[in-house]
Amino acid sequence: MLLGAVLLLVMALARGAEAPIAVVYPEIGEPYRAIFEKIVEGIEDRAGPRVVKYAVKPNADNAELKTDLRRQEARVVIALGRQGMKAVVPDRSMAMVVGGVVTLPESEARGLSVISLSPDPSLLFARLKVLMPAAKRVLVVYDPRSNAWLMRLAKEAARAKGLELVAYEAQDLRGAMQQYQAAFAAADSRTDALWLPQDITTVEEGSVLPMVLQESWNRSLAIFSSSFGHVRRGVLFALYPDNVELGKSLAGLALGILSSGNHGGQGMMPLRDVRIAVNLRTAQHLGLDLSRQQQGFDLVFPEP
Amino acid sequence: MNRTIVRTVAAALAVAWATACAGQGDEEEDLALAYGDKSFVTIASGARQPIARAPAVATVVTAEDIAAIGAADLDEVLETVPGIHVSRSPIGYNPIYTIRGIHTQFNPQVLMLVNGIPITGVFVGNRSQIWGGMPVENIARIEVIRGPGSALYGADAFSGVINIITKTVADLNGTQLGVRAGSFKSRDAWVQHGGKWGGFDVAAYLQVGATDGQRQNIAADAVSPTPFSSFAPGPVNLGRDAIDARLDLARDKWRLRAGYQQRANASTGAGVASALDPKGSNFGERISTDLTWQDTNFAPDLDVTAQASYFYITEQSDLTLYPPGYLGFPDGVIGNPYKWERHLRFNLSAAYSGLQSHKLRFGAGTQGDNLYRIKDSNNYTLPPLGTVVDVTDAAPFIRPHSRRINYVYAQDEWAFTKDWYLTAGVRQDHYSDFGNTINPRLALVWETAYNLTSKLLYGRAFRPPSFAELYNINNPVLLGNPNLKPETNESVELAFAWQPASTLQANLNLFRYRMKDILRPDASFTVQNAGQQRGQGLEIELVWEASRSLRLSGNYAQQRSIDEVTNQDAGNAPRHHVYARADWRFMPGWALNAQVNHVADRSREPSDIRPVIQDYRTVDITLRKQKWKNDWDFAFSVRNLFDVDAREPSPAPGLIPNDLPLAPREWRFELRHQL
Repeated sequence: MLLGAVLLLVMALARGAEAPIAVVYPEIGEPYRAIFEKIVEGIEDRAGPRVVKYAVKPNADNAELKTDLRRQEARVVIALGRQGMKAVVPDRSMAMVVGGVVTLPESEARGLSVISLSPDPSLLFARLKVLMPAAKRVLVVYDPRSNAWLMRLAKEAARAKGLELVAYEAQDLRGAMQQYQAAFAAADSRTDALWLPQDITTVEEGSVLPMVLQESWNRSLAIFSSSFGHVRRGVLFALYPDNVELGKSLAGLALGILSSGNHGGQGMMPLRDVRIAVNLRTAQHLGLDLSRQQQGFDLVFPEP
Repeated sequence: MNRTIVRTVAAALAVAWATACAGQGDEEEDLALAYGDKSFVTIASGARQPIARAPAVATVVTAEDIAAIGAADLDEVLETVPGIHVSRSPIGYNPIYTIRGIHTQFNPQVLMLVNGIPITGVFVGNRSQIWGGMPVENIARIEVIRGPGSALYGADAFSGVINIITKTVADLNGTQLGVRAGSFKSRDAWVQHGGKWGGFDVAAYLQVGATDGQRQNIAADAVSPTPFSSFAPGPVNLGRDAIDARLDLARDKWRLRAGYQQRANASTGAGVASALDPKGSNFGERISTDLTWQDTNFAPDLDVTAQASYFYITEQSDLTLYPPGYLGFPDGVIGNPYKWERHLRFNLSAAYSGLQSHKLRFGAGTQGDNLYRIKDSNNYTLPPLGTVVDVTDAAPFIRPHSRRINYVYAQDEWAFTKDWYLTAGVRQDHYSDFGNTINPRLALVWETAYNLTSKLLYGRAFRPPSFAELYNINNPVLLGNPNLKPETNESVELAFAWQPASTLQANLNLFRYRMKDILRPDASFTVQNAGQQRGQGLEIELVWEASRSLRLSGNYAQQRSIDEVTNQDAGNAPRHHVYARADWRFMPGWALNAQVNHVADRSREPSDIRPVIQDYRTVDITLRKQKWKNDWDFAFSVRNLFDVDAREPSPAPGLIPNDLPLAPREWRFELRHQL
C-alpha cells in the first residue's frame, strides 16, 4: 500500500515536471513542409517526449485544437508559421513561443517570444568583416513599417563590429529606387557593402533587385542578403535558417518559461541559428580570395 | 481511345486546380522572403554540400528531378538531358547514348562513372553487353558533361561523361522501403538505409526486380529474306531479373564503397546477329569496390585524395544466333561465349590553392585491365558442325589479354585579369599495347555581367581500341587488328549561361567537333583506323519558374554530323531533339509532371539505302503524392500516353528492316515508405 502511494506520488511529480509543450505547425505542401518538419525535429531533440504536435490546415476550424490544448493542460505552446499562430489564441494560463515568421507588428508580438526568420544583423556583420575585412560601412534601404525593429538592432550591431550603418528609408517602390540611387552615388566599393534585408518593398524582386544586382556588379560593390535565394542571383553571401537548431532554440525558450513560470514574452528576436551560402563567382569578381575559408561555408554557388 | 485519355486527364486537372485555388494562404510569403523561390527551399533545406565535390559540369540531374519525372531507369533520365538521345542496339536493346551526333553500335565513346570510377569493360569498351538497365532509386544525382573530357578523365571521355553519384547518409537519413509494379509484368522492390553505426556513416541499398519486358513485334529479321524459317514476325525479347546492391561506409578521411549488380535470365533483345532469339539467355555480374582517403587539409591549401578501386565483370551468354534449320543446322547456329574481366586502379590526386590567382590540380595513376578468362562453346567453328563443342582452347572468339595504363595529368585555373579565367589542362596516358596519347583542354571563361557567363572551350579526347577490336579471332563479322591506334575527337564549344530574371535561366551552347582514326571494320571485317567524321550543332536550355506552383523547362538540341569518307550524314542520330517538361504542384503534397519528347530527322547511315526513319513524339505523365499519412509516398505514371509507334534505327544495312520498336503505352504504380 505504501509502495502504491509512493508510486502515485512519483508519477504525479513526474507529470508535473514533464508538463507538455504543444507544437502547432502548418499543414503545408512541399517543399515548405520540410522546413517545418526540421524545426519540429529540433524541438523534439531538445524537449523530448513532452512534445505534443498538431498540424493545422489553413482556414480549419480550430475549436477541437483549443479543447485538446486545454485537456492536455499545455502551459506553453510553440506556434510555427502564420497558420500555426492563427490557430492558437493563448489565454492567460498559456505562454506562446513563435517561430517560422519573418516579422509581426509590435502590437501582435507583445507578450510573445518570437524568433524571426530574419538573421541577426550582428551575425551578418560579423560574416561581412571576415569575408571583406576592409568593410567600414553598411548601406541599407528599408521600409520602417516592417523593419524598424530590425534596424534598431542593426545600428547597435554595426557599432559593436566597428561598422557604420547608413540606413535609407523607403515606403514604396519608387522611393526605394531613389534611395538605392542615392546609396550607389555615396558608395565606395573598397569599404562599403550593401545589405538586402527581408523587405518586400525595398527588395522587390521584379525591378529593384535586377537593378541593384546590375549596378553593384558594375561598381564592384559587395552585397549581402538576409534571403538565401539572392546568393544564386549574385549577392556575395546570405545567412539562412538552420531549421533544426532553430527548433532547439524555440524549445529552449519554452522550457525556460516552464521552469521559471515567467510567461512574459521577449517580443521579436532575430534569428541566430543560421547557415551561410556564398557566391564564389561574385567573390572573385570583387577580388576577394575565399579559398581558405571555403570549408566553413554550408553552400556555395554557382552550383556544381 | 486517345481522346478519352485526354478528356480524363483534362477533367482530373480541372478538379485539381479548383481544389488548389482553395490553397495555402500567405504562409509561403514569409518563407519566400527567407528562402527565395521554391526551388531554393529544397537546396537550402538539403544536406550540406562539400566543396571538394563540386565539379565543372554541364548538366546536373538531382534525385528530386528523377522522382518528379517518374523515371525507373537511368536511360529515362538521360533522354531528358540536352544533347543526349538514348537509342537502342539490337543486342539486348542495350542503350546507345548518342551525344551530339556520335552514334555507334557498342557506344564505347561515352564514359560512364559511378562515384567518379569508370564502369567500362575492356572487351568492347562499353558498360557491358549484358546491361539490363540501371535502377535510379539509389542515385543522388547524375552529372553529365558533353564533349571531350580526356584531359581529366582519360580514355573514353570522348563524346561525353556520365557520372552517377550514389546516395550517402546525408541523402538517406533513416530507412526507406519501396515497391513498384507496372506493365510488362515489371516489378521492383527496394530497401535503403542511411545512419550511424559504430562510428561509421553507413549507407546501404538493396533492390531486386524482374520484368518480362515490352514485346513489340519485329516483323522481319536477318533470316526473313532467306529460304530458312525465322522467328520473325515475333516479339522483341527483353525479360530479365535484376539485383542491385550498394554499401557505403565512411569515417573521418576514409570511405569504403562496394557495389553489386546481377542480371540473370536476360533476354537477347532483337538478337545478337539481328535474328530473333527467344531462347537465348544471358547472365552478367558487376562487382565494384573502392577505398578512398581524402584529406582536404593535408597541408595548408593542399587537398590530397588517394584511391584504390577494383572492378569485376563477367558476361555469360547462351545464344542461338540463327534459328533451327538455318543453313542446315538442326538446332540453329549456337554460340555460348563467356568472359571474365577484372580491373585494378590506383589514383593519387591533389588540388593546391596556395598561389594567388591560380588553382592547380594534378594527379597520377596506374590501371590494370585484364580479360583473364574466357570460355567458348559453339556448333559452327569445329567439326562436327551442328554439335556444340568446347572451343575455348582450340578456336575461341578471343584469348585472354591484359593491358596496363599509367597516366599523369595537371590543370591550372588562372584568374589572369578581373572576371577572366583561363583553365589549361593536359593528360598523358601510356598504354602497354599502343603507347602514348596526350590530350589537352583549354577553357576561357568570361564573367560577362552579373547574370551572364560566357565560355570558350577546346578539348581533345581519345578512345582506345577495345580488346575485341585488337584481338578478336574466329569471328566471321569482326576480326581484331593488333596494330590499331586510338580514335580521337577534337571539339570547340562556345557556351552562354544567362539568367535574365530570378525566375528564368537560359543556356546556349554552340559546338563543332571532328573525329579522326575512327575504328571500323574493312571489307574483310578486319578493324582499321579508317573513318573521319565532323559535326556541328547547338543546344538551348530554358527553365522558367512560371509561378509558385508551376515550373516549365525544356531543351532543344540540333546537330548535323557528316561522315567524311562518303560526305553524307553520319546517320542514326536525330538532327532535331526537343524535350519539354511541366511540373505542377497543384495541391499541398501533390505534384503532376508532364513531359514531351520529340525525336526528329534521323538519316540513315551512308551504306543504308532504306527510307529515313519516322520521327516520333512521346508524352509521359506522373502524378505523385508525398507524405501521405506522414510516411508514405505514392506515384502513378503513364509513359507513352498516346501509344505512339516510336522506333529506333536498326544498324545498316537494315537486317531488321523495320527498325527497333520502343515500348507502347505503359503504366507504373509506385509506393514508398519512410521508417
